[in-house]
Amino acid sequence: MIPGETLHYLVMAIVALISVVATYMAIIEKDLLKAVIFSALQSGMYAILYFLLLAPDILLVYIPVAVGLIPGVLIVLISRTERWEKE
Amino acid sequence: MRIVEIAVIILIVLAFGLLITVAFSYIAPGTLIRPLGEFYLYATYNPYDPIVRLFTAMSPESVTAIVWDFRGLDTLFETSVFYLAIIGALALTRGLMPAPKGEEGQGLSVIVKSVTKITVPMILAVGASVGLHGHLTPGGGFQGGSVIAVIPMLMIVIFSVLFLAKRMNITGFLILRSIGLAIIGFTGVALFIAGLVQGVPAWVFQNMPKPGAPLSMPVEVHGALISGTLWFFNLAEMIAVASGFSIAFLILLLVKEVEFRG
Amino acid sequence: MEPTEFLNLYLLSVTIASILANLVISLYGVFYKPHYTKKIIAVSILSDSINTIAILIGFRRWLSPSQPPSVAIATDLSPEGIKKFANVAVDPLPQALVLTAIVIGLAVTLFLIYLGYMLYRHYKTLDMREIRRLKG
Repeated sequence: MIPGETLHYLVMAIVALISVVATYMAIIEKDLLKAVIFSALQSGMYAILYFLLLAPDILLVYIPVAVGLIPGVLIVLISRTERWEKE
Repeated sequence: MRIVEIAVIILIVLAFGLLITVAFSYIAPGTLIRPLGEFYLYATYNPYDPIVRLFTAMSPESVTAIVWDFRGLDTLFETSVFYLAIIGALALTRGLMPAPKGEEGQGLSVIVKSVTKITVPMILAVGASVGLHGHLTPGGGFQGGSVIAVIPMLMIVIFSVLFLAKRMNITGFLILRSIGLAIIGFTGVALFIAGLVQGVPAWVFQNMPKPGAPLSMPVEVHGALISGTLWFFNLAEMIAVASGFSIAFLILLLVKEVEFRG
Repeated sequence: MEPTEFLNLYLLSVTIASILANLVISLYGVFYKPHYTKKIIAVSILSDSINTIAILIGFRRWLSPSQPPSVAIATDLSPEGIKKFANVAVDPLPQALVLTAIVIGLAVTLFLIYLGYMLYRHYKTLDMREIRRLKG
C-alpha cells in the first residue's frame, strides 16, 4: 500500500488545497453572509492542518475562536449594518 | 483599472516565487530542529542531568512550560494587550448603554432550551478540564477560557440578551476579570516577596530554584504533579479570558440604536 | 532522487505553496475590496495564514519509515526516555509564539468590529469610497 509518510503528506496537501478554494470563494462573494460561512470553512480546514502538523495546543485555541466566536460576532455586525456589498 | 489590478497580482506572485526559491532550505522542514528547540525539549522535565536540573521547569508539557515559565514575560504583556483592547471597546461605547430593563425576549423553542440546560454544565466541565490540566496534557489557560466563552454566546442566542444581562451584568464580568488578573499579578511576585521576607535572593516570575536563588514553588501536592506556578497561572488565565470574551459580546449586543443628530 | 522521496518533497511544497496562495489572495482582498466587513474577513485570513507558515517551519519529518515524529509532550519520564523524546518530537518554540499571536490578533479583530459599528452609526454606510468622499 502507500507508505506512511506519503499518506501523511497527501492528506495535508488535500486539506490545504480545499482551503485555497474556500478562501477564493470568500473574497469573491458579494453576499457577506456567505462570505462569513466560507471563511469559517477555511478555518475548519486550517484546524485539520494544525492537527496533522502535531500542534494540539494551537488546535484547542483555534477551533472555538475562529469557527465559533469570530463568525458569531461578524454575523451580529452584518445584521446591524449592511448585508450586500455594492459594486 | 482591471489591468492595474492584474499587474499588481502578477508582481506579488512573482516576488513570492523568488522568495520560495531562495528560502526553500530554511522553510521546508527537515529531520533536525533548531538547537534552542531541542534544549527546551530536553530541559522541560529533567531532574536527572546535573547541569540541566538547574534550569528545568518540571512539567512534561513543553509548550505550557515555554509560555508560562521560560518566556513568561511575553505572556504577561500579551495579557495586558488583550486587557487594553477590552478597555478601549468599553470606553468607545460609554454613555450608549442603558440599564437592562424591560421584558425579556422570547428566544427559541422549548426543545432547544431544555437541551441547552443540559449541555451548558457539560461545556463548563470540558473547559475546566482542558484548562486545569494544562501542565500534563495539551491545553492551558487560553484554551480552557475560549471553550468556556462559548457559553454566554449560546445563552444570548437561545434565550435572549436581557436574560443574561439581568442576571450577570457587565460589571459582574469586569469584577471576575479583575480577580483573574490580580491572581496572575500576585503569583508572579509571590516568590520575590517570600525572598524579601526571608532575606534570600529571588527573581520575579521565578518557578523552580535557579543558581543563586534557592527558593521554589511546590512541585507536587500529595503525589500529584502541579509544577509550581503553572497551575495557578492556568487557573487565573482561564477565568480572565472567559470573562473578557463575555464582556466583548455583551457590549456589542447591548448598544442601543440612537438616532444620528445633525 | 528516488520517486518516493520526490513525491514527499512535492507534497510538502504543495502545502507550502497553497498557504502562500491564501496569503496572496487575502492581501488582494484587503487592498481592492471597498466594503469594511470584507476587509475584516480578509485581514483575519491573512493573520491565520502567517501563523500557519510559522508552525510549518517547526515541523519535523519522519526519521525513518517506521519512526514518525511525536507531539511535544513527554510520556516516558525516565532518563533514557527523555533523551529519545528530544530526538523525535517536533519543535515547541514556534507553537508557543503562535499562541500569543493568535490571542493578540483576536483582540485586534474584536476592536475593529466595534470601530465598524461606530462608523456605521456616524456615516450611515460602510463603503470606504463614499466615506472618503464625505470626509466627516
